[in-house]
Amino acid sequence: MPIDITMPRLSDTMETGTIVKWHVAAGDAVSAGDVIADVETDKATMEMQCYDDGTMVSIVVNEGSPVEVGTVVAVMAEEDEDIGDATPKPAAPATVPAPSQEPDPAAPAVEPDVIEAGGEDVASKPVDSVPADPPLTMRGHVRISPVARRIADEHGVDLASLAGSGPMGRIVKRDVLAAVGITKETAAAVPPGAGLSPASPASPSISNLPTTPVDSSSTSMPVKASDIPTPSGYGLQPWSEPLSGMRQTIARRLVESKTSIPHYQVSMVFDMDPMVQMRTQLNEQLAKHEVKLSMNDLVVRCCALAMYTNPLMNASWGGDCINYHGDVNVGVAISLPPERGGGLVVATIRNADRKSLRVINQESKELSKKARTKGLTIDEMADSTFTVSNLGMFGIDNFTAIINPPNSAILAVGAVQQKPVVRNGEVVVGHEMTATLSNDHRVVDGATAARYLSSLKELIENPGMALV
Amino acid sequence: MAREIEFREALREAMSEEMRADPRVYLIGEEVADYNGAYKVSKGMLEEFGPRRIIDTPISESGFAGLGIGSTMLGLRPIVEFMSWSFSLVAADQILNNAPKMLYMSGGQFGCPIVFRGNDGAGGQLGSTHSWCVESLYANVPGLKMIIPSNPHDAKGLLKSAIRDDNPVFCLESERLLSVKGDVPEGDYVVPIGEAVIHREGTDCTLVGFGRTVYFCEQAADELAREGISCEILDMRSIRPLDLDAIIRSVKKTNYCVVVDQSWSFASIGSEVAAEVHAACFDDLDNHVHRVHNDDVPAPYSHDLEQEMLPNARKICEAVRSVTYNA
Repeated sequence: MPIDITMPRLSDTMETGTIVKWHVAAGDAVSAGDVIADVETDKATMEMQCYDDGTMVSIVVNEGSPVEVGTVVAVMAEEDEDIGDATPKPAAPATVPAPSQEPDPAAPAVEPDVIEAGGEDVASKPVDSVPADPPLTMRGHVRISPVARRIADEHGVDLASLAGSGPMGRIVKRDVLAAVGITKETAAAVPPGAGLSPASPASPSISNLPTTPVDSSSTSMPVKASDIPTPSGYGLQPWSEPLSGMRQTIARRLVESKTSIPHYQVSMVFDMDPMVQMRTQLNEQLAKHEVKLSMNDLVVRCCALAMYTNPLMNASWGGDCINYHGDVNVGVAISLPPERGGGLVVATIRNADRKSLRVINQESKELSKKARTKGLTIDEMADSTFTVSNLGMFGIDNFTAIINPPNSAILAVGAVQQKPVVRNGEVVVGHEMTATLSNDHRVVDGATAARYLSSLKELIENPGMALV
Repeated sequence: MAREIEFREALREAMSEEMRADPRVYLIGEEVADYNGAYKVSKGMLEEFGPRRIIDTPISESGFAGLGIGSTMLGLRPIVEFMSWSFSLVAADQILNNAPKMLYMSGGQFGCPIVFRGNDGAGGQLGSTHSWCVESLYANVPGLKMIIPSNPHDAKGLLKSAIRDDNPVFCLESERLLSVKGDVPEGDYVVPIGEAVIHREGTDCTLVGFGRTVYFCEQAADELAREGISCEILDMRSIRPLDLDAIIRSVKKTNYCVVVDQSWSFASIGSEVAAEVHAACFDDLDNHVHRVHNDDVPAPYSHDLEQEMLPNARKICEAVRSVTYNA
């Protein structure tokens, strides 16, 4: 019996998935447990495994096309099965073009929907093309509720710029209202038709997005560098880019966070001389073990320890209660390179209050590398109770970050800079760093946040305490 | 002057006031006279109006329903009480095949100004054969009117309208509501048949109910308000004719609609309202209309199972969260 390989449900909320990379081709032998493809979900790029031994017969869904969970993406034959029996629809034997054959110049340059297994011992036959349902937008149809469509029309919102939060990605009223900046409270005040000017590719939903909260590289556009059109003449070329799953998630979560969480910020300047000195000293000694602690590792460790003495900060808003967490899991924002589509993820360093600097350094490095190459699993991004976002490496003095729900605080860390500072009544040259804590006022009041920063200051300015 | 009286007293006032005003009106049914009514709705009426106008019958629904219909052709305006609408099923030929069609079948010679009234729906552990909700079955028939009041004020006003109406009117009461008290004006007033009312204003989702389900909607709306979802409760009051305009006005405001109907879902009042709302409010809906019904099983006798079968507050809350994408 041929085996249909379907798009797996890799998370509770996953409705659709995109094969970003096939690791096998038609005709390849596969064993149970082999990674046959990388699948991009709404949360992460994950590996898709094969559950049987056998031979790949055909790839039904090409890379890059989102399909619904359960859609057949490939067909394989069982181990002892004649692969010919497994071809979806046998027809009269026909010549199979050799893989190396040049495409017919007259034929349109279109990728075949089905890549057939070929080869001498494989009775390969042409099959009716069985493409998976193309994503709805490709059929010129958008999943959108009637009232959402009407409001979008009234405000000239480009539907392609919206990420639907309803079932199966349906665009619903709140998505359009968020895009035009109408909240429930202001809804009555906005007359129909008083929308923004007709949307350009940089539509209201994008331009209204809060500043990305965490370290994103200077090119944070979700495009591959190679896709950026070459400017002709002077100036930049405009273009429109469909949203990746990650970009949709970022857009949805941050709008949700910034619009539903009452944010406020408290900032503090830290004397970094002791920490700079300690880090230099430690890294000299650790050089022979090829360990190099970053300033961020030290900050993460101090943040976790400060949480231990300020447990009220380690909490989440629960609607009708506040949930205080037993573990201190520090999320670290990691920007992704443009060639991986840009964007950012938050990796979780679990129990950071109970891990040594060396372990934090190692985990942080591994997670960051994995995020930038293979992508993180949902587990590696789950359960953070606090987030640190560091833009110090770009020379940013200070900035404010948007809370990463369900956290109730995020620390935005600036660069360590040499400055004229006052020490013992004298102006001397010293190191300073500014950090800004964004808080959810429903959970954390100003004094609590201030006490937390004081604890953090004590640790950072006496960094020996972070070692024990 | 309004004062607080029970639902059953409001029904009695409606009948008594109309009987005082119109000598053609009489009440007939099982135990309506000597026993003062199986549910004490007609208490004291025998004393006031005498046995020629308050008439006890044997257990013979088909017989006394038919007698009532026949008497309309001789100029009378009967009120026929079914102890329970569950028992009206044996009189189906009279009440569905004769009364609503009389005007049409007689070429306009005879109307049928009759009121059928009684308890409808789960009364509380009455078992599957005595817990009928007949509204979806009976409302299917053209030529009749149907009212299902949810409170004493509407009960009196609607029943008075029904007694004065020249068409057969089915008045469905809930045993569970007979003891409910509410402000009812003394003396004459009517609530027109075919007019719904906004029972509670809200902004986020329209709950359409009638009769007992209005109370389920209230419980659900209270709970949802704590979650920040503001429900508008619309009390249909009349099933036929249906005040569709009122429902449309509310749905156009909220963009979401949940219909709560205590009959089974298949080919029901709930499905009728949903279909009409889909047609009239297509461009105003952010989700399809959700419906909450009795579960699709015979009414269980067990107390807990019966509660679970009803379109209760929990089910309504789930439907509202789902329809508003808050699930």
